[in-house]
Amino acid sequence: MIPLRLQSRSSLAQAAALAISAIIMMVPAYALPVMHLGIAGQTTSDTTILSGILQLWREGLGGLAAIVFTASFLVPVLKLAGLACLLAAAWRKPGTHSHLLTRVYGAVDFIGRWSMLDVFLVAFLSGAVRFGKLASVQPRPGILAFGAVVVLTMLATHRFDPRFLWADSPPPASGRDDAAIQMATTPPTLP
Amino acid sequence: MNTEDSNVQCPLCGQSHRAPFLKPGQRALCIRCGTTVAERGRLGPDAALAFALTALVLAIPSFLLPFVTLTKFGNERTVLLSGGVEGLWLHGFGPLAVLVLVCGILAPLGLLALLVAVLWTDTSENPGELNATLRRWAHGVEHWAMPEVQILGVMVAFFKLGAVVEVAVGPGLWCYGAASLFTLLAWRRFNLQTRHERARSMLTVASS
Repeated sequence: MIPLRLQSRSSLAQAAALAISAIIMMVPAYALPVMHLGIAGQTTSDTTILSGILQLWREGLGGLAAIVFTASFLVPVLKLAGLACLLAAAWRKPGTHSHLLTRVYGAVDFIGRWSMLDVFLVAFLSGAVRFGKLASVQPRPGILAFGAVVVLTMLATHRFDPRFLWADSPPPASGRDDAAIQMATTPPTLP
Repeated sequence: MNTEDSNVQCPLCGQSHRAPFLKPGQRALCIRCGTTVAERGRLGPDAALAFALTALVLAIPSFLLPFVTLTKFGNERTVLLSGGVEGLWLHGFGPLAVLVLVCGILAPLGLLALLVAVLWTDTSENPGELNATLRRWAHGVEHWAMPEVQILGVMVAFFKLGAVVEVAVGPGLWCYGAASLFTLLAWRRFNLQTRHERARSMLTVASS
C-alpha cells in the first residue's frame, strides 16, 4: 500500500474551489445542447443531456434512459452533494460520524468515473456517424461543459484527503500504531 | 524487508497495520474504519501479472482492428477505437478529444504497462525505489483509466443508432472489452495484495 502524506488543510480549500467550479459548470452542461443529429429527410435537432434521456424514454428504451439518467445526472449531482457534506464535516471536525462519512467518500470516489459516459457517447457518435448529408452527428458546446464538470469533480475528490475525517478520532489501540488486522473470516478482535 | 514494506496503511483513515498473513480467500479489514485493506484471492501470487499481460496483449488488436462498421444506404464506414477522438478533434473540440484520448486509450494502456513493470520487479525481497515510484504512478493513472465506461458509452450509442444506421461490431471492440475486463481483474488483485504478501509467496515458491 502506498504511504499517504497527510495533506495540509489548504487542500480542503482547493477541493472546495474545484467543487464550486463544477457546480457553476453544471449550468451550461445541462442547459446547452451536447450534440446535433442530422438525418436526411428528417428535421435536424440539437439534443441536451436531459432531452436525450427523454427521447430514449419516449422511444420505449426505459432501461437505457435509466442508465443514462443515472450516469449523466444523478451521479454528478449526488457526487457534488456528497463532496459538500464531506467538506463541511472535515471543516467542522467530524467527530462521531467518521464511519458514515468514510463510506460516503468511498461511494463518491467509486461513482465518479461513470459520469464520463455521456462524453464517450458523444465522442463515439461524432466519430462514427459521418455520412455527410445522409446522417451526421456533431458535438455541441454543452458536452465541453459537461466534460469540465466530470474533470473538476474528480479533481475535487482527489484533493480531499479522507484522513481529515479521522483527524480527531483516537487510534483504536491506544499507543499502538502498528495494529493487527482483523481477518474477515474470523470474529473481529481488537489487539 | 524493511518496516514500511511490511506495513499496510488504510487509504481512507490512515491507520497503520502490520501486514497480515492471509489464507486464500481471506480479506483483511482496517480495524478503525472497516475498509478492505488487503485480500488474498484463491489464485496464486502471479494472477495479477497474468491478467495484466493478457490485457496488454489484447489491447494491441483493440487499437488496430475495426471497432465498429456502420452502413447507411449502402455507404459503409469502418471506425477504429480512436474514431471518437478523431471526431471530436475534427469538430474543433480539442480539449475534449484529449480527455477522451487520455481516459479511453492512454491511461488504460499506461496502467497496464505500469502494472506489468511493478509486478515484474516486485518479486525480489527489496524491490527498490523505482518499484515504489512506479507503484505510485499506477495509483495515480488508475483514476483516469476508464475503459469500462467507454464500453458502456458505445453500447448506449448502439441503441441510439439503431434507427439511423446499421451497426456491426468489429473484432477491435471485442478485444477492447476483453482487455478492459482483464485490466479490472489485474487492478483488483494488484491493489489489494500487499507487497509483503506477494514477496513472501514468491519466496515460498522459490524455496520449495
